[in-house]
Amino acid sequence: MQSIIERIEKEIAAWAPEAGAEETGIVRATGDGIAEIDGLEKAVMSEMVLFDPTFDRTLAEALKDPSPIYGLVLNLEEDGVRAVILGDASKIYEGMLVRRLNRLLSIPVGDSLVGRVVNPLGEPVDGKGLTQAAVLRPIEREAYGVIDRAGVNVPLHTGIKAVDAMIPIGRGQRELIIGDRGTGKTSIAIDTIINQKSESPATRPICIYVAIGQKESKTAKLVAELTSRGAMEYSIVVTAPASAPAALQFLAPFAGAAIGEYFMEQGRDALVVYDDLSKQAVAYRQMSLLLRRPPGREAYPGDIFYLHSRLLERAAKLSSEKGGGSLTALPIIETQEGDVSAYIPTNVISITDGQIYLEANLFNKGQRPAINVGISVSRVGSAAQTKAMKKVAGKIKLELAQFRELEAFMQFSSDLDADTKKRIDAGRRMTEMLNQGRGVPLPFEMEAAVIFAATNGYFDTFPPEAVSAVEKKLQDFLSREAPEVLAAIKESKEIREGSEKTLREKLDSFVARNSTAA
Amino acid sequence: MIDDYTRLLEATAELGDKAASDRAVTKLIAHLKSMGRMKMLPEIVRELRKVAARRAALRPYVEVAHEKEEAAALRVAALAGIIARHAVVNNSLIHGWRARSAGKLVDHSAKRALLRIYQQVTSA
Repeated sequence: MQSIIERIEKEIAAWAPEAGAEETGIVRATGDGIAEIDGLEKAVMSEMVLFDPTFDRTLAEALKDPSPIYGLVLNLEEDGVRAVILGDASKIYEGMLVRRLNRLLSIPVGDSLVGRVVNPLGEPVDGKGLTQAAVLRPIEREAYGVIDRAGVNVPLHTGIKAVDAMIPIGRGQRELIIGDRGTGKTSIAIDTIINQKSESPATRPICIYVAIGQKESKTAKLVAELTSRGAMEYSIVVTAPASAPAALQFLAPFAGAAIGEYFMEQGRDALVVYDDLSKQAVAYRQMSLLLRRPPGREAYPGDIFYLHSRLLERAAKLSSEKGGGSLTALPIIETQEGDVSAYIPTNVISITDGQIYLEANLFNKGQRPAINVGISVSRVGSAAQTKAMKKVAGKIKLELAQFRELEAFMQFSSDLDADTKKRIDAGRRMTEMLNQGRGVPLPFEMEAAVIFAATNGYFDTFPPEAVSAVEKKLQDFLSREAPEVLAAIKESKEIREGSEKTLREKLDSFVARNSTAA
Repeated sequence: MIDDYTRLLEATAELGDKAASDRAVTKLIAHLKSMGRMKMLPEIVRELRKVAARRAALRPYVEVAHEKEEAAALRVAALAGIIARHAVVNNSLIHGWRARSAGKLVDHSAKRALLRIYQQVTSA
């Protein structure tokens, strides 16, 4: 035993660790999650620094709480830097040593993140242990340029009839979901994630849901729903709850984008939902004011537009030379009293490739999803729409817009001619047909078949108020009686002559049976 | 203005010329008197104290685990550009030494190495 001890002591005495010079700073002042640091002269913007609580403690004390606290350099000043604290700010004290890490803020990414709930630093928060993600990826990076991109030409089906028919989304697109509180914005995003289950595993996008400033109970409920629907198998949740420091809420969407880009660069498709960017903007405003950056309109900093544009520009459909992967972004913005002309909504509307506008009035009338078709638009998605959907949904938007006009006119006139009444009834039927509850996304082929039925007058024999119920029956009927037609539509992505003929026969038989029953 | 005056005095002090510093202080006081801004003076002193404290924290500082390591530590630290006259004994380092100056740190202590091993093991 003695010889072993002597040997180890000898090793210790002879041991000379190889450590180069590190650049360090000292915390001058701290408060509100911001640290002012002296030194760190060579630090760069967005660089990670480490607040070292072990430096002036004994080894025994240090081992009691050796967990590092990271910071993010956001202000470079004449005599030091200001950094936001990415952790428990109460542990930072004046005089604390800060080390440069010589790397931009990065998070571990990889396939092992799938099915997990992580914070914006990539640390798991679901109690399932460490992730095996080994690749470090900076969360801020320049978006792909024109040469590296391809046109958006592959659809991303949401499973929501109204969206897929009238406001189609393509893979690589940025489609804003905007509306007041409680109008079903998150539901659209979640249904879209759930609907990807109907995609074949080869083409199924990896879905990343970024929860910013949400109640943890809401996120937990959402994760439970995704798990129960089998959607966590291809999903990742990044959460920066309302209780998290503003810095983490600001970083969360960038972390989501970094994770999505990892999959995109492997030639796969990814979908990222930012829920919501209004809260991220508020977190960024808080940080900027604490960093003493000059406030601008609504006290937001001058670079608030750049914050969102550089995030959303990272959504892309890559060229085949770059692997052909895609990153689709569904940012969410919450409006106040339906005011889309506020600062942040107008910014994000102008950045994205379209918006789905949800209206509280429509929601209260019972329309689900409460989409205002008039001001909702998809600027690039129609190029990605399948032939089947283009064929069946071509006129819906126009017909609905005409219906809305007539509906308004109807309030002032009691006597309506037969043609107007017919159009109004058709509009009501269409609205009823597009009504769709939460959590029941439809596979693409079923959507196409149902909309085909609606646009070809197969619901005309039913009163408008019965259309929802009839539509559900039709779905059951088609799944049972016409699976081969649905399979053909799914495979070919169009309604070919043969399929159309069979579909018409089946629909005739359905109408005959149900009209008799009615 | 307080920042500007503080910076001016700081720059003068950096020259190391005591007479020049005294002249700068005399002129500043005269200027403040003439402008009726003498109440700025305590603020300037407070700022100068802060600067002095910050500079003290950044001055060369070498710590060793044992006295016998002092000579070697000072020599190697000097090679790394950290020139100090004496080293302070800090038993918490366990073995080795560490030196810091003006934002540069060279840590050759066993404590740091052990912590690194601990972190690698516990996060693996």
